[in-house]
Amino acid sequence: MTTVTNRPAPAGPTAPKKALIERLSIITGLLLGVVGALLCWYLARTFLPVNTDGSYIKTRMDQEVFIAMIGWFVGFMTGMGALIGPFRWLLGKDLTHDENMFYAGKDQGAKRYFRYTTDHKVVGIQYLVITMVVFFVGGVLAMLIRTDLGHKGGNWLQPQTYNTVVGMHGITMVVGAIIMVTGPFGNFIMPIMIGARDMAFPRLNALSFWLVVAAVPPLLSALWLGGIPTGWSAYNPLENQAPPGMDGFIMAICIFAISTMVAGANITATAIKMRAKGMTWNRTPIFIYGVVASVALALPVFPVFFLSQVLSGLDRATGSTFFDVRGGGSPWLYENLFWIMGHPEVYVILIPSLAALMEMAPVFTRRPLFSFNLAIMGIAGISGLSVLVWAHHLYVSGWAPLLNGPFMLTTELISIPTGMLFLVLIGTLWRGRVWITLPTAAIYAVLLNFTIGGITGIYLSDVSADAALHGSLFVTAHFHYTLMGSGLTAAIGAMVYWFPKMTGRMFDKKLGWTAFWITQIGFQITFMGMFMVGLAGQPRRVGAISDFFHQGNVIATAGAYIIMAGMLVLLHGVVVSWVWGVKAPQNPWFAKSLEWSVANPVPLENFAVLPVVTEDVYGYGKAQS
Amino acid sequence: MSELETAKRLAWWKRADAKKAVVLWAIFTLVIGYVASTIQTRVMGSAASENMSSTINMIKIFTWAASPVAGLVAALTITTLLGKRHFGDNPPPEAEHEIRNSPKVAATWVVVSTLLCLFAVIYGMVLVQKDENNLRSANSLNIDVTGQQWAWSFNYVDNGGARSADLYLPVDKHVVFHVTSTDVMHSFWIVQMGIKVDANPGYITETATTPNKIGVYDLRCAELCGLYHAYMQKQVHVVSQADYDAWVQSQGGKA
Repeated sequence: MTTVTNRPAPAGPTAPKKALIERLSIITGLLLGVVGALLCWYLARTFLPVNTDGSYIKTRMDQEVFIAMIGWFVGFMTGMGALIGPFRWLLGKDLTHDENMFYAGKDQGAKRYFRYTTDHKVVGIQYLVITMVVFFVGGVLAMLIRTDLGHKGGNWLQPQTYNTVVGMHGITMVVGAIIMVTGPFGNFIMPIMIGARDMAFPRLNALSFWLVVAAVPPLLSALWLGGIPTGWSAYNPLENQAPPGMDGFIMAICIFAISTMVAGANITATAIKMRAKGMTWNRTPIFIYGVVASVALALPVFPVFFLSQVLSGLDRATGSTFFDVRGGGSPWLYENLFWIMGHPEVYVILIPSLAALMEMAPVFTRRPLFSFNLAIMGIAGISGLSVLVWAHHLYVSGWAPLLNGPFMLTTELISIPTGMLFLVLIGTLWRGRVWITLPTAAIYAVLLNFTIGGITGIYLSDVSADAALHGSLFVTAHFHYTLMGSGLTAAIGAMVYWFPKMTGRMFDKKLGWTAFWITQIGFQITFMGMFMVGLAGQPRRVGAISDFFHQGNVIATAGAYIIMAGMLVLLHGVVVSWVWGVKAPQNPWFAKSLEWSVANPVPLENFAVLPVVTEDVYGYGKAQS
Repeated sequence: MSELETAKRLAWWKRADAKKAVVLWAIFTLVIGYVASTIQTRVMGSAASENMSSTINMIKIFTWAASPVAGLVAALTITTLLGKRHFGDNPPPEAEHEIRNSPKVAATWVVVSTLLCLFAVIYGMVLVQKDENNLRSANSLNIDVTGQQWAWSFNYVDNGGARSADLYLPVDKHVVFHVTSTDVMHSFWIVQMGIKVDANPGYITETATTPNKIGVYDLRCAELCGLYHAYMQKQVHVVSQADYDAWVQSQGGKA
């Protein structure tokens, strides 16, 4: 902490020695984080009172782990330089112009990607890379799960390991999916798309990204602290029973929730206040609506997630009984809190993905978006209804059976706005001249996968069918069709679409198409197999299964290996294209939105002169020309 | 008269792409409905209770109700692929029209999807009501079910408190299960009878069914409950009333 108080010397070409602000990077962050964790852990071990109450044996260990992780968090954020600004304010000053320019990455060096850089383009690239890293980890865990179930009877992993692998796979994929569109494209593309020079709050932007990074070590530490054998939903009282790894999970969720809230406030403010002159709401691209709906939906629900984990952590570390029925608490309270976040969260993932598809469809059919208003109604309808459906996860929990009917109604009503988005996409493709590219392929794949994911969702929304299907692999297959088959496929399509602007290079077509076909075919095999064993009665989250399910699981596992091959080709494609790809022209898709009107690489402040929007962004079609 | 106006005058159902789409729609609807419902019913196996057969029936009906929707999406998207495709690095010529909206199509789409949605809700509500009434039916056998890590125990309260670790049920007799847990959450699931309810510590939840076929069925825990969750399975023996009485007496209960 004391290092921060040193007033940095003014940065400039003539400054003989580096100012403090220039010395801070991920290295100092990690260093101070580890020091902070060790120091706090030592203090906690030495000074915490000895636990005399024998009934909560683990409590003291949990206290130590929590305190150490708070030490990590504060140390890391300090080392990154997140506190320099606030500290200046405390002294009644602010950053100088030079320092702000340094923060914005004026030097354009490679080092700015490893610093607390406020330039939205740097943050976008950082998000893109960390999304891929998170998906890579989650993918490896998925392969462990499928390999276990591919063995006859399963049981290839130890039960504790298996349960932890399932939980880690769940949480890493959920985190990855939440940031996969609004992170990279919401940060890099959105400000340029609306004709702004940066986000509304550039420092908050850097803060939201580095908070995601700060959440990673606590989450991974769970692997060494006994694991998180609870699944990502971490229901109580199982969560209370779990080893100290659970504390890492709780800490990671809390940090990640703060990051999401910060990013949500920032992106919403940017889209509302910083659109170019002339960009009325009617001329605002649909992708902006999608991103704003997503983060604005996250704003009210992620605090609930944060709260649920804080209460869980208190139960674990202090012996409070929010969710312990013996002390007057209720496990149903936890389930409610969790799903009040948990169901809107899937739309936080899906809405921006679908909005990206709707953004691309007019470009590749050379005609206007079909029914712009219906698209907005669809997005608004999904966002509004999604906060009213959470208890369909509790149909069979026994909590308030009288509410099952109303929640069935709200859940099934969501199919109406979702159908609107389908109509917008199909209507745009209809009678257009379809330009066959990778993003187009993503649109078609998503229409197929989301149809299947959506219809199976209607079975699950029915209370009596849910009594047969709840907690089975049918549910798992259903949400993989929506989140992976639709959400991730759309995000990959969006990545290929905006790759030329973000990296300055074209995405390798051959590798892209190979990856597309392999992953899509593998995907259908895996999750069709999973639908079958789910219908036949295989529960979720089991590492050992009866031989009855062997055949279906072998199919699903074979499919999973095909997906893995496809994803490795995709990763290879990303690396090859990024490093050696063909240099991209300024506007390779001949699109009309503003992000294609800036040069490659995008200049530091995007626009020398702020643009004025005078026409519709979807003005394609012959009558226009 | 411009080309655009000629195109507009042609009624939509006379357009070649519309005809193609309608034919494909019919084919896809039949194929999807038939294949999906056949596979679903085959995979779900034979039902051992009224609950399960009505669930299987419901899934079949939902599938047939949904197949025109899935078929329409597939037919329309595939028709767009059958039409003018364009390859290469340069964009295709601009589309011949700039249709931005069609209030008729949008309204039809929204009305039809609303009707389908209401159908699903009403159908579901009827079934929920049936389950609810089922729970209140008189003259039923009561069994207390307790989940604990990682076993089930059953208390046959109407049979003088006989206890067992496997579940035995008389055929064609209405049974109400009163489910609870001693530690963490479990979920009481009899697969072939299509019933499931969570076992919560500190609360008693209920579910009911009437087994209608003699045989051995699967009881599985459907809520992750810790280390040996995967092994928390038992057999459910559905036997004749006479066999059930004999079994209860052998367990120290009274018939």
